Order: sequence, then C-alpha cells, then structure tokens
Amino acid sequence: MELTILLFLSSGLFLGWSLGANDAANVFGTAVGSRMVRFGSAAVICGVFVILGAVIAGAGPAHGLGQLGAVNTLAGAFVVALAAALTVYAMTKLGLPVSTTQAVVGAIVGWNLFSGSPTNLTALARIVGTWISGPILGALAAFLLYRALRGLASHTRIHMLWRDLFARIGLIAAGALGAYSLGANNVANVVGVFVPSSPFVPLDVLGAFQLSPGQLLFLLGGIAIAVGVFYSRRVMLTVGRELLPVSPLAAWVVVVSQSLVLLLFSSTTLRQLIADAGLPPPPLVPVSSSQAVVGAVMGIGLAHGLKGIRQVKWAVLGHIAAGWVATPVLAAIGCFVLLFFLQNVFQQQVHQELRYRLGAEALERLRQQEVPVGELQPIAGHVIPGRTAFLEALRSRRQLPGPEEDKVLAAAELHPMRIAPARLGVLDPALLDADQIAAVRSLEGQAFDHKWQLAEALARAHVSWRPRPEAPHHALFNERLRDRLDYLYWTFRIPVGASPHAP
Amino acid sequence: MAEIRGSIFRRTRAMAATIDEFLDMVGEAGLAFEKGVHHYLEHGLDAVIEEKLAQISHLEGRADALQRTIETVLHTEMLIPDARGDVLSLLDDLDSLLDSIKSAFLALTIEHPAIPREHHDAMRELVTVSTRAVASAVSASRAYFRDIRAVRDHIHKIAFFEREADHTAIRLNRQIFASDLPLERKMHLRDCVRSIDELADEAEGVGDHLAIYAVKRSL
Repeated sequence: MELTILLFLSSGLFLGWSLGANDAANVFGTAVGSRMVRFGSAAVICGVFVILGAVIAGAGPAHGLGQLGAVNTLAGAFVVALAAALTVYAMTKLGLPVSTTQAVVGAIVGWNLFSGSPTNLTALARIVGTWISGPILGALAAFLLYRALRGLASHTRIHMLWRDLFARIGLIAAGALGAYSLGANNVANVVGVFVPSSPFVPLDVLGAFQLSPGQLLFLLGGIAIAVGVFYSRRVMLTVGRELLPVSPLAAWVVVVSQSLVLLLFSSTTLRQLIADAGLPPPPLVPVSSSQAVVGAVMGIGLAHGLKGIRQVKWAVLGHIAAGWVATPVLAAIGCFVLLFFLQNVFQQQVHQELRYRLGAEALERLRQQEVPVGELQPIAGHVIPGRTAFLEALRSRRQLPGPEEDKVLAAAELHPMRIAPARLGVLDPALLDADQIAAVRSLEGQAFDHKWQLAEALARAHVSWRPRPEAPHHALFNERLRDRLDYLYWTFRIPVGASPHAP
Repeated sequence: MAEIRGSIFRRTRAMAATIDEFLDMVGEAGLAFEKGVHHYLEHGLDAVIEEKLAQISHLEGRADALQRTIETVLHTEMLIPDARGDVLSLLDDLDSLLDSIKSAFLALTIEHPAIPREHHDAMRELVTVSTRAVASAVSASRAYFRDIRAVRDHIHKIAFFEREADHTAIRLNRQIFASDLPLERKMHLRDCVRSIDELADEAEGVGDHLAIYAVKRSL
C-alpha cells in the first residue's frame, strides 16, 4: 500500500518541483533580473522559506486538501497532478511565468470530462477573470506605489550605495516573505490530497517538537518546491529582465505590489480581520501571483510614461499571455489523454463514479430545508449510479430550481464512511484541534452513508464542528470547517462496494 | 589596495567614504593646481612649486589606489548593478582629469615657460575658471551619488566655466600672438594655455557623461 502511495505521491512531488521552478520567479524574478541578488542566493533563500512556509503554515487546516481534493481516487489525483506538472514544466522550459493553480484546475477539468463529472463553470470563469484582473490590479498597485516612492526618493539625499543596500535588504525580505507564503499556500495543492493516506508516522525532532504525518508530507512537498526553485532562472529572467529591465527600486515595488494585490483581494484572513473590525471587506477578486507580477512589471513601465511603454517588450508579453491561455487548456487535454492510458493500459481506477440514493434520512433533511420532495418518492430508496442518471431521474419527476437541485444532489450523494478505530490513529493533530479529535473519537464505530450525516453527527458532538451563520465575519471559520470536514470525508471513506455498516 | 571589511552596513559606510575621498582627491588636486600656477606666476619655479607637484602626485597616486579599491568592491560585492558601469566610467573620467591636472603642472615645472607680466592677469583668470570647472565636475559627481536632482545645476556651472575658459584662452592667445615675443616662445605659451584650457574641456566631458548617467538613473 505504502509503495502505491509513494508512487502516486511522486506526481505530486513533480508538481511541487514544477511549481518551484515557475512560481519562484514571482518572488525573486525582479531581484535576480535586476542583478541585485545572485540567482544562487535567491534560490537558497527562496528554498528555505518555501520549506518553512510549507511546514509551519501549510499544514494549517485553512488550506484543506487543495484543489486536487475534488478528484476522488488516488490514481486520478496522480494523473491530474502529473498533467498539471508536465504543463508547468513545459512552460518553465519556455521561460514563461504561469499559474500552477490554473494548470491544476485545467487538469481537473480534463478529469471531469473523462469521468463525466460536472465542471464548476465559476472555476473556469475565475481563471479567465484572473488573466484580466491580475495584470490590471498588479499594474495599478505597482504604478501608484512606484510613483509615490520615486517622488519620495527624489526628495531624499541618501547616498546611492545606501539606497542600493536598502533596496537589496527590501528585496530579500519581500522575497523571503513571498517564498514563505508560496510554500504555505501551494503545498496543499502539491501533496494535500495524500494527507489522509500519509505513509509517515509522527517524528520527534531532537525531543524539542514533533512533526505530524501531515507536516512530514508537507515537508516533503516543501522540499520538492524548494528543489524546483533552483531551476527557475529562465522564468526569473523573463519576469525581471526580458519583459522590461527594472531598477532595484522598481524590482522591490513589483514584488511588494503583487503581494499587496494577493493580500487585499484574495486573502480570507484579511477579509476576516476587516469584517471583525466592522469595516466593509474588499471584494474578493480572482488573482494569481504569476499574473499580478507581470502586471506589476507593466505598471512600472507605465509609471515612466511613453518612455517606459516603449521599453516594454510586447512580443515577450504576447508569449506570456499565450502561455496563460495555453496552460489550463494543455493541462486539460494532457490529463484526459493520460487518464485514458492509465485506465485502459494500466487498468487503474482513475475515478469513482458518484452514486446517489434518496433514503428516508435524505428526504427528511430535504423537507427540513423546505425542498418539495413529494414527487420524488418514486425514486426514493433506489441507488442510482452517476450524476447524470440521477439528475435525469430527478428531472423526470420534478423540475427544481438550480439551488434546490443542488441541495437534492448533496443530500443524496453516497459517500460511505466508517469511523474505524484504526483510522482514528492517523488523525493529524496539526490539522484538527484536541476538541475536534475528541468529537471524532466519540463517533468511533459509527457508519455514515452521506457526508452531511457525518457533519451533523460531529456538530452534535462538539460546538467546534458547528457551522456559523453565513456572514462575512464567519466566512473564514466556515471555510476552515469545510476543509476539515473534507479531510475527514477522505480519511474515513471506505471502498466502493463495501458497506459502511459491515463490522 | 585597501580592503573594506565588516558588516554590510559598515562596508557600505566605508565604500561611500572611499568614493567621497576619491572625489576629494580630484577636488584638492584642482585647488593645488590653481594655487601652484598662481605661485608660479608670482615667484617662478621654486621649492613651493616642487612641493605642489609632490602634493598633486600624491593625490593622483592615492586616487588611483582608491579607484582600484572601488572597482574591485563594486564588482566583487555586486553593488549598484544598475549604475555600476556608469559609476566606473565616471571614476575613469575623473581619474583622467586628475592625470591631466598632474601632466599640466608637471609640464609647467619641466618647461617653466617664461610668462610675460602683461599676460599674468589673463593667465590667472584662465587657471581660476578652468579649476572652477574641475571643482564643479567634482560637485556634480558628488551630487550624482547623493542628490540626483542637483546634478543638472552643477553641469550648468561646468558648461559656464568651460565657455569662460575658452573665451579667456582665445583672448590670451590673441594677446600672446599680437606681442613681440619670438615665435617659439609664442608657441610655447600657446601650448601652456592649451593645457590649462583642456582641463575645463575635460571637466565638461565629465559633465556631459554625467548628464546621461543622471537621465539613466531617473528612468
């Protein structure tokens, strides 16, 4: 079993390597491109902080299982990660900065197409939105920040060498922080899906602290990203030199601008803090660091007026934009082809067909949710394989509005789970707190057919498992709760065909 | 060659001080040249002139050493990558200016031209405006490191002093060639005037390059 997991894990680690080789350019590209930091120094600093971010903050439950959590078999996750990694690797060879997350989402779309699963159109709209909003917001932030700083700098009489030193320190500090958040935010996409099946046991580090199996997995993912960083020179030079030669001050502004844009428009933590303070939170806008950083470099060009615009290499920008569009498309096609091979040549189950049953409990739940279920009685109790077949059966009885149809799907989806004593041992204390683990333990031996049944049982067991009313200041809590529940759904899932109620 | 060691803050402070000291050497050499020529006009070739020559030679030697240190540190520490080439060219220009100051003064001590008293005022004026052009080039260079917006003002002064030096040199040459001096003395004095006037021209060259470096830094 462990060998299989390690084999499957290899594509996650390859994805990590590709991510490091591409996304390191977002945090150190301009520093290296402007020759303020040597590539070797940048790679070492970036690698160390990526690993720290991955182990310290990446294991936080806020990051859940990452995008790959949508794929419901390990073999499927292997292919999705492999397709995304190959796509990002190809883009890295071309020296183009692209979004790894978008490659993963593209590969998941390929998996959806192959498995007949529905594709969430909002995820695709988000990607397209990112191509527009990322560069615009990045450019705007860099334009304003650069103009302000340049105005300030022209009124100060600091020696060129001191400016150089401050810029260097600023670039290294901003790069290190960026690398930390790169590791923290992306390691879940790399190895998150393997957390419930982590082959590791807790490790005592010199008796000072203990690394949980999840943290060890995240450490491995962090190391994969860090190794990839050493291959990122080409992409770094595209961002930091080829697109537009930037000064040290501009190099710093680019890194800070993209971090600011990500923080302001995509950080749920910041939104939570702002909502807690009673202020209206900023709108959630889809942004990706790869797109924001390119936008920020353009913003520097715009800040110089016509002279700056003339200096921008538009052909390079065209290649980058083409890379953005090609990334999810290639990942989707690559994933589809690879899934075909793995399923038909290596006889691996790459997707698990969803099954639905409207049992008595599901109907009762729907009644509580004020969904009219009277006309659904004829299909009640039958196990219907496949989402499409279930929807056809449902629609033949009653046409429901979209949101109510989603409620029926969620209530009827079968996801057999059993709180097996052996699995209780693998619960990761880095992902769940003590009260939550105790609540899970109190359900030992119980079986559930639907995800919502486990969620309800846990909510009854302890207050920490209860979702809060939908409100901006509860958004982060509820998001974390969903991620933790996802972790449990994977951890206690039992194979297809087996009954959760069997001893 | 001096070495610059210590923490990055200490090294930066030391490096800034080294650049300032280099600029001081060029500025001092200009002042020493001016005083030396004025003394020569008053007293002719004497021990004071030899002392001034030794002083200028020492400044030139020290500036060479400082320039080598700056070049080495800028390269090995990868400092100011965006302006390193310009800074090194600027230091080369200033070093060349310092060499010209030394060469002009050395020529004076070797050739000790006999300058008729009626040309002393014009010669003094020429030396003064030429060395002011040199001083302005040093100020412009200093501003390039600390206050980029002030560079333009200093460059304007260099151009002014260079024009003044040209006018004075032409006037002086006219006076010399209108006099009854033998042709070989006229030609000797003309060379002497040219070597002093060329200091202002070189200072102007420094200013022209600095104007470009300053524009590059503002981009």
